[in-house]
Amino acid sequence: MKLFRRILAVLMMAGVAAAGIRIRGSGGVPPQHGGWRPLELPPDRR
Amino acid sequence: MPGETTVPAVHPAVHPAVHVVGRGVVAQRLVRMLHRRPVIVHDSRWAAVTGVTPGDIVVLAHGGPHAPAVVGLLDRDLHVVTVGDSLDDTVALLDLNLGGANRSLVLGAAMSPGLSGLVARQLASSFATVDEIHVAIHGTAGPTCARAHHRSLSGLSPTWRDGAWVDHVGGSGRELCWFPEPVGAKDSYRARIASPLLLHRAFPEVERISARRSARRRDRFTAWLPMLRPPYPEGGVGALRVELRGADPTGARLCLVAGVAELVGTAAAAVAAAFVTALADGVIPPGLVLTGDATLPTLDLLRRVESFGVRLQEFTGVPQPA
Repeated sequence: MKLFRRILAVLMMAGVAAAGIRIRGSGGVPPQHGGWRPLELPPDRR
Repeated sequence: MPGETTVPAVHPAVHPAVHVVGRGVVAQRLVRMLHRRPVIVHDSRWAAVTGVTPGDIVVLAHGGPHAPAVVGLLDRDLHVVTVGDSLDDTVALLDLNLGGANRSLVLGAAMSPGLSGLVARQLASSFATVDEIHVAIHGTAGPTCARAHHRSLSGLSPTWRDGAWVDHVGGSGRELCWFPEPVGAKDSYRARIASPLLLHRAFPEVERISARRSARRRDRFTAWLPMLRPPYPEGGVGALRVELRGADPTGARLCLVAGVAELVGTAAAAVAAAFVTALADGVIPPGLVLTGDATLPTLDLLRRVESFGVRLQEFTGVPQPA
């Protein structure tokens, strides 16, 4: 029973920590521009 | 035929036949792309390519080694195009003595090697000096390609680094590579593929050349085993990413990235078809031909690749905050 309570307590603490990071953490806004575009081949100069 | 006397010796006949050896995804797609030309399909299990006339073009688009068949085909006055990325086979083909050949051997006309060399050469035109070339590929064509992908993660991966070859363990060196959409970001690892060897031949001055391929954790951990389940008939949308680093004519550092997102079988067949049509038009020099070679009409070849439905893309970068 003591072991079970310890495991439960650890899980709860981990959950609280994860929730805190999830809510308060800021990863910034992902880039809204840039990326890939069709490659324009230069005109043939031959 | 009277008209044949006017054709230069290095050029094929006016309408050379195309012989495609193999019945896999790439071979079938290549036959479909070349439907306006006379195309004959051969099974790779047959002992020899029959029914050829001098000047014809033979595309080896089957799995397994190509080197044993190439010498005989060149001796029969045929152009040869190989489609494959086997390292051992590529080394054997590079060692062939083609000094007096008046026909062409196009080595590795697929996505990588193949399109990677063409894209690298095109990007290199924007540089004064190129220091690094890094290639990454995602996806496979047919089952034979999938098996080669599986094996490549367990071998030694050659990397050109500061003037010497360094063999890294396949499946090492994880790097998050951003491929053109819709593929996006994939973890990519070193693998036993031939692209660095061919790129080094084409760009001997470049100090660092590496090739990676995307893989999942399961692919890496099971690489030393036989494939645990049969591969799919064809992989999904694959991608190629070629990154060049160096200096522009003003001396400023420059990094350019380009690639494609396409079914690997389609991209490989388009590159092979581009070289076949270029050979038929007589714009490819005789002897050993590497796709990143500076003597090739790279722009013309890339336009031919695009004409077969493969769209080249360039990475525009992410704008930095002011």
